This record gives sequence, C-alpha cells and structure tokens, in this order.
Amino acid sequence: MKQELIDFPFQVIFKPFSSFWDLKYDNKGSLRASYLLIALTIIAFILQKQYAGFLVNYTDPRVINSLMDIVTVIIPFILWVVANWSITTLMDGEGKFTEIVKVTAYSLTPIVIVYIPMTFISRYMAQEETAFYYLMLSIASLWFVWLLFVGIMTIHQYSATKTIVTMVLTIIVMGIIVFLGALVLSMLQQIYDFIYNIYRELLFRT
Amino acid sequence: MRIKTIVSAVVLASVLFTTTLLEAVHASTPYEAYNYNYWEEAVASPAAFVPSKTVSGSDLGIGPFLEPNDMVVGTDGKLYVADTGNKRIVVINPDWTMNRVIESVDGQGAFGTISGLFVDEDHTLYIADSGLGKLIVLHEDGAVKLIIDNPQSDIIAAGFKFTPTKVAVDSAKRMYVVASGVFEGIMQFDTDGEFLGYIGTNEVKRDYYEIIWRLFSTKEQRSQMVLFIPTEFSNLDIDQKGFVYSTNIDLNSPTPIKRLNPSGEDVLKRYGYFHVKGDIRFRLSVGPSIFVDIKYLGDGIYSGLDSNQGKVFTYDAEGNLLFIYGMLANQNGTFKTPVAVEYDGVNQLVLDRAKANIHVFKPTMFGELVLEASRLHYNGYSAEAVPVWEQVLDLNSNYDIAYIGIGRSLVMSKRNEEAIFYFEQGMERDQYSVAFKRYRREEMKEQFGTIMTTIVIVAVIIIGIMIWRKIRSKRQGRTTRYSAGRDQAL
Repeated sequence: MKQELIDFPFQVIFKPFSSFWDLKYDNKGSLRASYLLIALTIIAFILQKQYAGFLVNYTDPRVINSLMDIVTVIIPFILWVVANWSITTLMDGEGKFTEIVKVTAYSLTPIVIVYIPMTFISRYMAQEETAFYYLMLSIASLWFVWLLFVGIMTIHQYSATKTIVTMVLTIIVMGIIVFLGALVLSMLQQIYDFIYNIYRELLFRT
Repeated sequence: MRIKTIVSAVVLASVLFTTTLLEAVHASTPYEAYNYNYWEEAVASPAAFVPSKTVSGSDLGIGPFLEPNDMVVGTDGKLYVADTGNKRIVVINPDWTMNRVIESVDGQGAFGTISGLFVDEDHTLYIADSGLGKLIVLHEDGAVKLIIDNPQSDIIAAGFKFTPTKVAVDSAKRMYVVASGVFEGIMQFDTDGEFLGYIGTNEVKRDYYEIIWRLFSTKEQRSQMVLFIPTEFSNLDIDQKGFVYSTNIDLNSPTPIKRLNPSGEDVLKRYGYFHVKGDIRFRLSVGPSIFVDIKYLGDGIYSGLDSNQGKVFTYDAEGNLLFIYGMLANQNGTFKTPVAVEYDGVNQLVLDRAKANIHVFKPTMFGELVLEASRLHYNGYSAEAVPVWEQVLDLNSNYDIAYIGIGRSLVMSKRNEEAIFYFEQGMERDQYSVAFKRYRREEMKEQFGTIMTTIVIVAVIIIGIMIWRKIRSKRQGRTTRYSAGRDQAL
C-alpha cells in the first residue's frame, strides 16, 4: 500500500511520462489507491470549505454540505471516465477502462497535496498574502490538467493534438450524458405519473 | 392536502392571536422593517422610525393641500411646503401651527407650478417655479431678492427655456438648480444670479446589445432609435461642506445617488457590502429603487426616498445601509406617491403628493442609537461609540455595522485579538486583515523565544541523527572492507 499510495503518486507528479507508462505496461498503481485518492480529494475540498482562513473563505457556512461535496467530485469523475472511455473506444485508443480510472485518480494527487496544507496555512495569512494562496491553488489545478493530459496521451498512445481533441470531445460528451440522463429521468417521472394516475382513476371508478 | 390546510389554519390563527396580543405591548409599524446582511438577503430588523402622525392642510386650518411637490425645513425648524396645486407656499411652525401662507410675490403675481423649495441659513427662501420658468429668491420678510428667468451664457443654447425643478444653496450662497430638459448637469449660479456653469454630468451608459444592434441597422432605422442621452437629475441636497448630494432616476444604475465635489466629480464613499442604490433585491416586475429626493441628515448620514416602493433608505458616511422604512399602501404611515423627505433634527418627514399630507416618523430607540453611534464614529469618537454599538447589538444582534464599529475602536486601542472576533462577526475582511496582521506580529514577538528554541532543538536533533548515521555507515563500510580484504586474502 505504501508503495502504490505514497511512492507512486509522487513519482507520477514529477515524472508523468515514465510513470504513466509504468502504470500501463508494468501494472503499477492500483484501483484501491485510486479510490483512496478520490476520497482524499473530497476530504481536501471539504476541509477547504470548512477550515480555510476567513480572508479567503467566501463560503456561506449555512450552505456547507459534505454530501454535495462528495457528489460534486464523484459525479464529474464518473462522467469523465465513462465519456472518455466511450470516445477513445471509437477513436482507436488503447487504454482500458480501469486505466482511465487510475490515470484520472492519480492526476488528482497535486490537488490533494496542495489543497490540504494551503487550507491550514491560509488561516495565518493577511490580505496581501492571500495572493500566494490563490497562486498555489491555480498551480495545483493546472498541474492536475497537465497530468491528466499526459496520462490520457500515454495510456491511449495518442499524439498531443489528438489528446487535446479527445479531451474537448470528452467534455462535450459529458454534457450529452447529463442531458440524456435528465431527459430519461423526466420521462420516467412522466411515465410514473401516468401509471399512478391510471391507478387512481381505477381506484375511484370501482 | 387536508393536513396542509389544518396546519396552515393553525399557523394563521397563532399568528393572528400573537399579533393582536403583541399590539397591546408595543406600537407596531404598518411596514416590515428589514435590512440586508452580508449575503445580500433581506433580514428582519427592528424598525428605526415609526409613524407618529400625519398632518394635512385641513389640520392646519387652511384647506387641504393639492398635489404638494416639495418641502423643506429651515434652520429655525420652520417647515415650508410647496402646495403646488393651490399655488401657494405654506409655512408651518415647529409645533405644527400655521405660520403664514405665501400666495404671491411682489411684482410677479401668482405662482405657476412650484416644484422645488430651499431655505438657507439666513431664512432666505428659494423657489423653483417650473410653471413660470423662474427661480425666485425671497427675503424672510417676503421681499424679492432676486429672480432668474433667462440665464445667459455662451454654453447655453439659443432659445433655451429655463424650467427649474429643484434648487439647493450652499453656504457661499451659490445656487444649484436642477432644470428639466438639461442633460449637461446641475446648473450653478452665483449670488447675483449669474450662470457659472454645469456640474456633475450623469454618464451615458453604453449597452453592448444596443451597439451590436446599431451595427446591423440602416441609417433610417438608426434615426428612429432612441437617443443615448444622459439621464437628468431628479433632486439634490447640500451638506455643510458644500458638496452636492444628487439623485437621478437612471434605472439599473449602480450609482443613483451621488455626492458631487465642487468640480463635479462623484466622491460618494461606497465602502458598504453593496452598491448605494436602495433595494438590492427586488422583483423584476417591481423594478429597482427610483430616488426622487435626498436629505442630508448631518455627520455624513443621508436619506434617499424611493418613490417606486415608497421606502426611505438611510446610509452613513461610508455607504453602509443603516436602515430602511416605509412602504406603499393606504394605512397611516404608508405612502401613495412620496415626493420629498425632510429631517427636523429628530423626526423624519415625508411629503405625499397623492395623499396630500405630511407623514411624521419618530425614531425608535434602535434608530436613535444607530444614528448616535454613526455620528460619534463619523466625528472620530470611536471609543465613545462602542457602548452605543453594544446597545444596538442588544436590540439587533444581526447588525453588522455595529460589529465593525466596535472592531474599529478595538483596533485603535490595540486590542487586536478581540477586534479580530468582531470583524469576523461583521464580515469585514480588510479591517480583519489589519487587525490580524498586528495580532500575528505581537504573537510572533511574544513567542519568539519558544519558536527559536524549538527550531534550534529540532536542528540539533536532525544534525545529530545525520552524524550518527554517517558514523554507523562508516563503521559498516569499514567492516565490509575489512571482510572483503579478508576474503581476498583467504
């Protein structure tokens, strides 16, 4: 566990090309560690909302809801993985579904290792120093995008341009999935209402 | 469904009974007092002003007012009401008895349409008569001092028709006149009635949608479109420093209230949580606040009158919304068409054109305390303001400005740790940062010994471990070398 949860993520963030290669061909990194990283990301977001310093914390304490934080990480994650798998299957990607899961989860490492310490450092910051806080957060986000890019490129054996196109397409497909999901849900709702009304009608008539 | 009706019936009944019970305990207001919190939500607040009485023309024994348009309180407490429909000016004593009625001006005959009034410190009366197109200045005894009917200047277009609607005068007796059909700003006249120039043009707001629309339309279409012209000022008042507080009826502008310095720039402080624009949350069908009058209450505090929803918004010198009162309705203490707001030093008066009466609002304990604390703070007595703010917090623990006020005073007396708490309560981040930095520095100074000791101890331990490891590895290296040699020898 130590190897796959501590050593490998650090290897990933500093040497993404070779590490993701290892992930694909040497079977490094595990799904268990991936789930843990996602959980840590969620915890990082929750901690940030709850404990970030007053000067950088613009969250209304009355609307903090950890369930919502969990959903806002997990749903996009699942959508991304499913959409990316769907797209790359059509576009000759070599990556497997589990590989996409692992790559995406391991790419979240910078978020975890930057957000959690910054949350606590931000409590000791004055107004002028908050710029540093925001800088670190943006670095973490950019780093995450970079790792994701490298990871997708490596596991699917794509060129750089094709990776960018795929990523953009993935985001579009995520939107389509959400749209279809909403459509299906509302249809189900309608069907349910229809059947329920028939049932009530029958109940009243007899 | 049935449960719902039962529950709502119970709730309604309980509300009904409790309100009737409460009414016996304290006077209720016909309107709901509220204020906005940091999250821009309207939250209930104690009323700052409650209706105490209404005065109509009949009460004064001079027959009802007819569409009164403006009123002003003189420095001696006399109230001058422009009874426009009856073409007269009614002067009322501070104890609400009749003083006199001005019905005509020597050599001028009857009034036309009196739109605006102003009284300066010498009790000189300034009358903006838009019907006659004249600005009439009367001495206290009623003698004519000056009449401006046709201002002359190079920057005034030929054939310009002077229609003054509102007037205000500064301590140097310069007259500031809002005239209809003038888009260049407020007209400024000197003591002798010479035109000095315009101050404070309202900026034209560019609408990107309109600009794009214009790009694709033909010349004929463009000529049919509305012109982009600056909005006119609706009213004005003047503070003791000679700065002009002005209102305009520019819908959706973030700056309907302005404070103009002598060169016409807007210098209103807007350090509150949100724009100085009246209601920040409103139904789209109702629309934003439309300010038709403004009154400077002294010590940087000013009240704006919103005719759209019949509310009076009072702000302090830094642009914090202190309190809101009033509404449009038919009860006593509510308005139909409010046109003017005044302040006699204690009470606020609102003139209602449609109801043709004057509403008198007296301050509650809460209102008095807030005003007192704001005045103390404005004049630099922050420490003296603290007990007053604490009383305000007793009455309304959601009053953010009170927390900030206390916090400021604590910072000045170097009690930074407590100040941090109060600024956090008041959601004031800039001041919080100042207090926090000082507190951090103090703590660092105090804890310097401990911090340094810890660092030194940790460094010693780390170095010790490194040395020990090196020694150990050397020893191991020696033994291996020894053994390697021995192996070779063997």
